[in-house]
Amino acid sequence: MKNMKIFAGMILFGSLWGFSECIIGSTLSDIGAPSGAIMTGFFALTFLVISRIIYRQPGMQLGMGVIAGTLRLFNPFVGCHICSALAIMAEGAIFEILWYKISFDLSELKTITTQVSMGILTSYIVYVGGFTLTQILTPIISGPGFYFENLIAIMPNIFASGLLPALIGGSMLPAIILIKNVDFTIKERLYYPTTIGVSVLCWFIVVGIWFLINI
Amino acid sequence: MLSKKEKIISILAISVLLVGVFSSLYVNATQVNKDTITINGNEYTLNQIFSMCTKRFIETDEGEKTGIALYDLILKIGISCPACHNYIIKAEDKYQQTVSWDILKTGILTDYGRVFFPETAHTFWVRNVIEIEVK
Repeated sequence: MKNMKIFAGMILFGSLWGFSECIIGSTLSDIGAPSGAIMTGFFALTFLVISRIIYRQPGMQLGMGVIAGTLRLFNPFVGCHICSALAIMAEGAIFEILWYKISFDLSELKTITTQVSMGILTSYIVYVGGFTLTQILTPIISGPGFYFENLIAIMPNIFASGLLPALIGGSMLPAIILIKNVDFTIKERLYYPTTIGVSVLCWFIVVGIWFLINI
Repeated sequence: MLSKKEKIISILAISVLLVGVFSSLYVNATQVNKDTITINGNEYTLNQIFSMCTKRFIETDEGEKTGIALYDLILKIGISCPACHNYIIKAEDKYQQTVSWDILKTGILTDYGRVFFPETAHTFWVRNVIEIEVK
């Protein structure tokens, strides 16, 4: 029963992440905002850390990345679908590795300095790692092939692009950690209808718009 | 008093910030701003390129795009056996992607210096192109 609850939570948070990537990320991109940095430093970090605080389950954030990335493939708006989907999946996996040694009660992140530092570190590595992996995997998966020299040439750009998400993440994590004291308990009979309902709604909106635009 | 783990987190955070800052400075310092595109070692302005090549429309998942056909450009500048080469498309910020002739011949170069290929991921749609290296 506990596993089913975690699974439903993983689908919920993965769907919310994917939904925000498709709808909010695309809108930010359209208005010329640095959507990738904002999506990682604000939304991805929020969903990943909150789910970890609530469920305290290793592996869950990896699953969330897979779900969010899969939903991103159906993004009805313009943009690189496969690149973004791969980056999101990689972000979930990298977060999982980075936070492996952090205890579930976040006892290491007691001081504000450590919280800011962890926010900076997490957002930077998650963003830069996702960006790097998508530069490797997209050419391989989509066909043209990967050339190491291209990756080396753009590494300074990738390292530079991590600065903004790092600053956003550094200011976000202390705020996210504040919710540790909020009681998220909801009645047993409402848990599955709520998690499944919200998840279905996220998928319905994204896939529905995709269907209307493409069919 | 910070624990060992907390110290490591703080040091790593400062380190990634420094990497980000110095990378940004490097990228800005090495950015190339020029009005020409180097193709196989020769400089061409966009006007020259557009006056010698066929215009082409392609349909992408971002809608219809107009530019000159890259296959025509490669043939016009006298590359023999175009299918024997790969083509590295480089941007002013050092971003670059390599494509084969099979992909290149489907693409266009727009009058604002961006390449589009209808059947590749957007990763290959290099912006602000300053060089096409023939390898």
